[in-house]
Amino acid sequence: MIELLSPAGDMEKLEFACLYGADAIYIGGRDYSLRANAKNFSNEEIKIAVEYVHNLGKKLYVTVNIVLHNQELDGLKEYLLYLDSIDVDGIIVSDYTIMNLHKELNLKLELHISTQASITNYETALFYKDLGAKRVVLARECSREDIKKIKEITNLDLECFIHGAMCTSISGRCVLSNYCTNRDSNRGGCAQICRWEFERIDKDGNKTTEIPFSMTPKDLNMVSNIEDMINIGVNSFKIEGRMRSIYYIATVILTYRRIIDKIVNNSLTDAYTNYCLNILNRCANRESTPQFYNKLPGKDEQYFLGRQEVSNQDFLGLVLDYKDGVATIEQRNYFKVGDIVQFFGPDTETFNYKIEEIIDENNESIDVARHPRMIVKIKINNKLNKYDMMRIKVFDF
Amino acid sequence: MKKEKILINIEKLFDIEEYKKIGINNFLFAVDYFSIGYNSFKLDELKDLDCKKYLLINRIFNNDDVEKFKNIKEELKSFDGIIFEDIAVYNILKNSSINLIWNQTHFATNYSSINYWLNNLYSVVLSNEITKEEVSDILERVNKPVIVNVFGKNIVMYSRRKLLTNFNEHFKIENVNSVLLNESITNNKFDTFESEFGTLLFSDYFNIINYLKYFNNDNILYYLIYPKGLSIDVINNVINGDNVNKYNDGFMNKKTIYKLGEK
Repeated sequence: MIELLSPAGDMEKLEFACLYGADAIYIGGRDYSLRANAKNFSNEEIKIAVEYVHNLGKKLYVTVNIVLHNQELDGLKEYLLYLDSIDVDGIIVSDYTIMNLHKELNLKLELHISTQASITNYETALFYKDLGAKRVVLARECSREDIKKIKEITNLDLECFIHGAMCTSISGRCVLSNYCTNRDSNRGGCAQICRWEFERIDKDGNKTTEIPFSMTPKDLNMVSNIEDMINIGVNSFKIEGRMRSIYYIATVILTYRRIIDKIVNNSLTDAYTNYCLNILNRCANRESTPQFYNKLPGKDEQYFLGRQEVSNQDFLGLVLDYKDGVATIEQRNYFKVGDIVQFFGPDTETFNYKIEEIIDENNESIDVARHPRMIVKIKINNKLNKYDMMRIKVFDF
Repeated sequence: MKKEKILINIEKLFDIEEYKKIGINNFLFAVDYFSIGYNSFKLDELKDLDCKKYLLINRIFNNDDVEKFKNIKEELKSFDGIIFEDIAVYNILKNSSINLIWNQTHFATNYSSINYWLNNLYSVVLSNEITKEEVSDILERVNKPVIVNVFGKNIVMYSRRKLLTNFNEHFKIENVNSVLLNESITNNKFDTFESEFGTLLFSDYFNIINYLKYFNNDNILYYLIYPKGLSIDVINNVINGDNVNKYNDGFMNKKTIYKLGEK
């Protein structure tokens, strides 16, 4: 089984993840889920989400991965029974109470152990297998050899992160956020303190250097290793980012969908891989590397001074309709006549296009689409599909 | 606080006799290769010591570490217990006679999960990031005595990366394996240590000894102390209730939130 697993912070993102090629989606409920400040799904929305993905032949997993305090024990059993009753395919957990309840309540949904459990060796994985786990999400600190041996010895389903932000810490082993902001990192409140700057001081509190200390990791990117990961037995290829935009989800999922399909069809080329790397790095607006897969990350896998994360303006428009050579587009960022843009979509081969004319809702020709979410029409000979996307053309394919 | 229930981390072997003089007889030792963040010892150095001896095995293992740990399995039998972080330690030793103590940092935060472990092993070390009400509730509901950190420095972050080396290499400055970091917005200071196994950040010293009177002490197996560089005189003063206001009280009165807007 090869599964491309996408995050979704709300129903719209879930729909885009499905459309752009995910085989399975993971979401969080309003309680018990890390990323507590994402929009997340109500119980009723989870039910709708299950029906939606099952109708497409895909799977839905729900993160129930906070580390519980006493107060969260109330209502937990009822929540798990509810998720089971609406046919959620699996829950992703890190707390032993939930693992125990999975067995005690005889739940039919699969038990997946979260990356928060820091699984980096086969004995730990075997422990969770004995507890009833069908799948383990390995720590991002696992090397290729770690993953291979864990698979060989445990034969568990293995889920590995392949793309997105990294924790500086081993996931689950950090409470910097608790200390600095009183927000509980293991209950979804992480304030990402590891992306802040620190002073180096002596015991009297004096700065020992003017250079701020930072420990921010670059993102994870496994584009070049997907084929190898398939060969060593990884089953589920997981994208990080339940709080990311539809553009990010669509771009990343489609990129990995095409890579996996090309690997299966034996048609992946180095040139295509390089194109994908460029697209992904641009999309996240951060550099990315394979991190721990082949070596211990060093200075080149981190950021140091003065990094500003400006928001990405690449997403220009969402195709709402295409009829008789005219695309109806919802504007997402400024574009104008003469711009060279790129269209992409799940069933649309990526192509470049120079904008010749923009027609507004009053059927008047305009030079610039400057208003957020304004609806415009553009004449395009290439056929487009609903929910294809238009972005700035930066890289040729 | 009964001194016979104190379990203290040893940084230098010659401290043991001095601690014995003030009534402390239970000692916790970090072990070469299998521990991180504390001064560690070879098992051979420890096996003949005349005292209660617990081992701190707090590294996250990879597969090679698992094999190496299996190789020392027999030598572990002469110790009174093992406080472990990686669940592999439990899985390897669960059928042995060794007293195992679950110390998955930051995870022992509710009585239900703690009781799960207490049903399967000797004891549990409570997490530090819980309030006095939560500690009290847990101590009322546990089915066996547990261990409470009462004084020292908490592990705040455990990274597999060599964060100090990476920084020093990037800026081409002299490498050191220990620095004090200050987060200037919140004024939190973190002692930071790096070894070949990764980097640990520690909190400032905390002291919750004054809160023990609110707890069911019958369900406390040990009061755990990590001196982290403090002298025996200072430790003794703390144990005797002096300098209470010199140290922070951790999360005793600080309920953490996780949804913005929550009070």
